[in-house]
Amino acid sequence: MSVQPDIPTVTNDSMEDRLYTVKYDDPGESHLDVKVSDVCASSCDTNDCASVCPANVWRETEDGVPQIAYENCLECSSCRFACPYDNVVWEYPETGAGVTFKHG
Amino acid sequence: MTGTETETQTQDTHEPNYDEAFDVIVVGAGLAGSAAAVTMAKRGLEVLLIERGSSPGAKNVFGGVLYTPTIRELVDFESAPLERYVAEKRFSMLSHDDETALSLRPGEWNHDPHNDSYTVLRGEFDEWFAQQAVEAGATLVTETTVTGLVRDGPQIVGVETDRPDGTIRAPYVVLAEGGNSLVSEGADLKDTESRENVAVAVKEVLEFPERDGVIEDRFRLVGDAGVAYQYFGEGAVGDAFGGGFIYTNADTISVGAAYRLEDAATQKQSPEETLNLFKTHPAVAPLVRDARTVEYSAKTIPEGGAESIPDLVHDGAVIVGDAAGLVLNNGVHLEGTNMAVESGYHAGRAIATATERGRRDADVLGAYPADLEQSFVVQNLQRYAWMQEAVEADRDLLFEALPRAFADASTEYFRMDRQPKESHAENAKRTVLDALGGWTGAAKLALRYRKVVT
Repeated sequence: MSVQPDIPTVTNDSMEDRLYTVKYDDPGESHLDVKVSDVCASSCDTNDCASVCPANVWRETEDGVPQIAYENCLECSSCRFACPYDNVVWEYPETGAGVTFKHG
Repeated sequence: MTGTETETQTQDTHEPNYDEAFDVIVVGAGLAGSAAAVTMAKRGLEVLLIERGSSPGAKNVFGGVLYTPTIRELVDFESAPLERYVAEKRFSMLSHDDETALSLRPGEWNHDPHNDSYTVLRGEFDEWFAQQAVEAGATLVTETTVTGLVRDGPQIVGVETDRPDGTIRAPYVVLAEGGNSLVSEGADLKDTESRENVAVAVKEVLEFPERDGVIEDRFRLVGDAGVAYQYFGEGAVGDAFGGGFIYTNADTISVGAAYRLEDAATQKQSPEETLNLFKTHPAVAPLVRDARTVEYSAKTIPEGGAESIPDLVHDGAVIVGDAAGLVLNNGVHLEGTNMAVESGYHAGRAIATATERGRRDADVLGAYPADLEQSFVVQNLQRYAWMQEAVEADRDLLFEALPRAFADASTEYFRMDRQPKESHAENAKRTVLDALGGWTGAAKLALRYRKVVT
């Protein structure tokens, strides 16, 4: 079948705009980390943390150890489950900090 | 956390030292936690309900439909902040550019109690539900994170929090912390779920700022009626195992996609990109065009089913809701929040009974898993326990070949040309049979999945 000639244009927000819709209170330090950097650098070449993240928190880098933009985090925990090396440090942001969903 | 070591020094007298302010601590004011809290508070227990978010619901995300038979019994449901009742369920298969759908609008759903199916937004709803527990006598503390459990020998006797002097002791702890269950896992009460059994979900709440009535017009709605649209196939989530959804709220719609983390990882299919593709499908785009994003959210869903339920009772603690893996997804039924409420209710009853009898051993708390096993929660999970594996084995057929075959077959069946209908019907039949592997394949498939609907 051919594609419909007139599919209405759906303008998707950029990641930046999407994250801007979510209230965020910076805890001051990252609630995310890697347990052993060397595991990322030496053993991992798939970067599953970056593939599964819905908020572009985990980013591939030259040295193989992901950069973590923790202030983007929606606290879904996908990275924690996805890492095949169980190498993600994930803590709840403390005293109410982190993301606040108004609707959810 | 520093207190843990010293406090685990065993006292020989073995009547653990509790603060005596509370009979029970509930970790997490989501639907499972608040259901447990309200159940116990009504039975006269002193309940402390701890929430790490700025308010109950602040950290919570779900698709959008809440099934309410138990909530209705537990609290004054008339005051609940509901968005719309579900007047239509639609099951839709999407290939790359086709849609084949089944739409259901039973008249009964338009009448109270609307099959106990409502769209809600968790920020508002969870805050209201926790408030019901407070009104029943529970104490709610927000912006407080439980960082670990306090043990006295093998017994769990309280929680550590991130507040100054944050150790709080009580005879029972209800772990209602959600699927990202760091406390339960950290205390070795359950294993971390494997990524094959976890789905990642992304969702947008959209509004239509250009004019009023867009939702009513697009979804054929009057008054408080709403829709629950479920989508599967490659047009919904690409090559992944999962689906998309659209639910109507009062003034917004919830649009999202959920699929296995394993697929997100191995197919390098990002959640955001998957959501974008779903929204631009020719059958979906007209429903979501000209919208403005009100909120973007994400969560993980434990979908391990019956086999993934951890030990629910520990010495002094029980696990409920998503933390206990109580989520049903069989393609047709997507349920979790109702199971969370049910589990919180049964756990709350067991702890109330144990408290009234002055006993705290695992035998008394055993009423919770026993009741849960007799309830729809475990019965349903067991009924569909075979499905995850079967669908995984048939995924190419179910998510790609069949949606295409049904679309091609309907195109053929209804084709308007100068050939007799007999030849169209024959072509349509052949298209579907080819995809299924002939009559034998069709019979096997029907046999394999008969339990989904029968």
